[in-house]
Amino acid sequence: MRRALVVFLVPLLLGAPPARAADTVVAETLDNGLRVILLEDHRSPIVSSQVWYRVGSRNERRGATGIAHFLEHMMFKGTPTHGRGQFARIVEQNGGQDNAFTSQDVTSYFVNIAADKLDLVIELEADRMHNLLLDPKEIESERQVVIEERRTRTEDDPGGFLGEEVASIAFKAHPYGSPIIGWQEDIARITPEEIRAFYRSYYVPNNAMVVAVGDFRAGEVLERIKRRFGGIPRGAAPPPVLTVEPPPNGERRVVVRKQAELPIVYLAYHVPNQRSNDAAPLEVLSTILSGGRASRLYRYLVYERRLALEAGGDYSYFSIDPNLFWFWATAMPGQTPETLEKELLAQVERLKTEPVTDEELRRAKNQIEAAFVFQEDSIHRRASLLARFEVIGGYAQKDQFLAKIRAVTAADLVRVAGSWFPEDKKNVGILLPKP
Amino acid sequence: MTRSLTTRFASLMLLGLASPAAAAPIAHREVLPNGIVLLVAERPAVPIVAVRALVQAGAVHDPPDRAGLANLTGVLLTRGTTKRTGPELDSAIEFVGGSLEAGAGRDSIGASLRVLKPDLGLGLDLLSEVILSPTFPPDEVTRKIGEIQASIKRSEEDPGAVAARALARLVFPGHPYGLPVEGTRESVARLTRDDVVKFHRERFRPDATVVAVVGAVTVDEARREVLGRFGSWARPASPLPGVPTASAGREPREEVIPRDLTQATIMFGRQAIRQTDPDYFALVVASYVLGGGSASRLYTRVREEGGLAYSVYSYVSPSKYGSAFFVSAQTRIAEVPKVRTLLNAELARMTREPPSDAELSLAKAYLVGSFPLRLDTSAKVADFVSAIEELGLGLDYADRYKERVARVTAREVQRAAQRFFIPETFNRVVVGRTP
Repeated sequence: MRRALVVFLVPLLLGAPPARAADTVVAETLDNGLRVILLEDHRSPIVSSQVWYRVGSRNERRGATGIAHFLEHMMFKGTPTHGRGQFARIVEQNGGQDNAFTSQDVTSYFVNIAADKLDLVIELEADRMHNLLLDPKEIESERQVVIEERRTRTEDDPGGFLGEEVASIAFKAHPYGSPIIGWQEDIARITPEEIRAFYRSYYVPNNAMVVAVGDFRAGEVLERIKRRFGGIPRGAAPPPVLTVEPPPNGERRVVVRKQAELPIVYLAYHVPNQRSNDAAPLEVLSTILSGGRASRLYRYLVYERRLALEAGGDYSYFSIDPNLFWFWATAMPGQTPETLEKELLAQVERLKTEPVTDEELRRAKNQIEAAFVFQEDSIHRRASLLARFEVIGGYAQKDQFLAKIRAVTAADLVRVAGSWFPEDKKNVGILLPKP
Repeated sequence: MTRSLTTRFASLMLLGLASPAAAAPIAHREVLPNGIVLLVAERPAVPIVAVRALVQAGAVHDPPDRAGLANLTGVLLTRGTTKRTGPELDSAIEFVGGSLEAGAGRDSIGASLRVLKPDLGLGLDLLSEVILSPTFPPDEVTRKIGEIQASIKRSEEDPGAVAARALARLVFPGHPYGLPVEGTRESVARLTRDDVVKFHRERFRPDATVVAVVGAVTVDEARREVLGRFGSWARPASPLPGVPTASAGREPREEVIPRDLTQATIMFGRQAIRQTDPDYFALVVASYVLGGGSASRLYTRVREEGGLAYSVYSYVSPSKYGSAFFVSAQTRIAEVPKVRTLLNAELARMTREPPSDAELSLAKAYLVGSFPLRLDTSAKVADFVSAIEELGLGLDYADRYKERVARVTAREVQRAAQRFFIPETFNRVVVGRTP
């Protein structure tokens, strides 16, 4: 995914598993506010244990962008009980795999491990939820690592670089305009005190959830979680994000020149999120535009016209606040960004006037439904899906998701394209290769 | 995704790190009358089926002046058969929410099918068509050659890809492994439809083919469905053509490839050994201690303590006709000398002294214990069993691996390091500006 940090959640969004009759989710909110969601899956003697904090770049203020992601790095730097690097070391020593990611809306830590090691993971996660060291010396060292990460993902990656520029012009008020990894100047500046305060504000049980799927007895695991996390005091409710992005008043455009081989074009439109009735049609539209080689953008821009090396569209169904619908294309050699932009726009305009065919609509719905089933195969993905739906209002919403998708009509797609893709309010990004 | 590069990399190196399986055979194996090796693993819980077909027709079989021929042949398989055009194939599989992808690796051409259980018949129809009766339409050949050339051009933006290509040339001089699977822009320009047709005719044969069927399917059902579609594929009388094993590399060399980037990508590489060499397991453990995970020496020294890199790792990369060992890091321009010094110092230290007990036990525990996590979906199982079959390692390889890794001693790790980690024996590539 070339626009990794801006939209990297998107590939995960295509679907979520249907509730199978035998699956019973055990959900409880502890006295300190910690949300616990457990699902037994006894196919293999393994478990995916995930802790999700409801904090991401969305919660950052100007001047301190990247702090949520910086803190994510610091979560591996130790507590008084488990020193620097010990978390990962203990997990590896027990044959587990761990990692974490920060998005615009959440920060998520996961460990996939043999089921009989789950208690150990619960202990480690509870420890770093409340007792992180945040040693200033470690912060300084890790600051350089984060800057290196930014170089890899953004400075030296044309697609990542352009995506960041487009998001930054598309939002004039909302923090979705800032990169998840943060601006270089902010990463270099953020103080240990700010990281400490950020940790205290957001890493509280009442702002977190523990999700586990795997080979365990939910009742027993719930008791263990209560024992390990139950003593962590509830914190003050984290400050809400109040900013509402004002409606765009005109087109915004950015052109960057960078060492690159091929031009890239991005189009982005402000769209509603899953709270809107238009969300399901937008999700279907995203699949019709870019779900596979039969999808529109591939078929027309890549295959038939040979204008683009690759092309697609992305919608963030799970976004907490309204976000962007992206269209993008990388030019074939010899093709100009002007042509690509014109052809992408023609595809957008066509959506507004001409209903998609019955085959396109059915194919997209089938793809979304099948993706749900495929995700069932992985306990890691099952846990992530429960968490994702929980973030937007409740894990049980996943049971209604497919019904909403199935109800979408071709007329809905014409309507949402007309409502949300106004020609004169688009955001455009062009990357021109610098010789 | 913060700590992803090292751990992700590990999971990509499935074969290199592959370890133990459960006591039960990982798959049923039988040789069909025409020589196809059929592998079946029943995973009934989720109603999906993953199929992986491998034909010994990888880039290693490219004629010397036709680098990229296997790759072109592979991507053209799904671009038209005697029954369907490319777009018809795309529409057929995507309409049921499935996927069918084909492409070449170094040793083989692979096709991967993923479908919901009720669509297995359709999926296998399509899979057998693309393997047995692709038509390589002239227009599709022209189109794909253009796309591959554009991809190669675009990959010049990616310093990791540039470094890996340059290093392969130095590590495997005169052997097909020294050339990129996708070919070069010049070699791809020389390819013709006749080359592709001939390559397919000569290289695709049942006795060079493995079909792995994994998921909600029984052995009997898989045999019947595969025989029904591939059973009449006749085995040629001629023996399977051989491939030379990579000869020892020449004197190590160094190459600097200037790029106007903020980071430099440093890669060291040299030839190593395959799974069939008795020292292989000690080498795998040695590589893990050096740069395998977030407890490794390189991660600790270069990233955690030095703040010098986001990405730093080492890995063993065995293929069928040769093997290589790589060390890699990305760092800011000013620190290139320091990182090079650290990489050299840590390689040398591995040769001078055995690993500590803690390091050894962690590496072994991780390599052995994390195995079930790497086989947690039907698609991963299909990839794994087909690959070990193709490499001739035997279906008990997973168990043997576990047993052998568990027996590796500190002394053996040091001896493997003395054989493969001497800094002066490495080819080196740096992509980026140098200070």
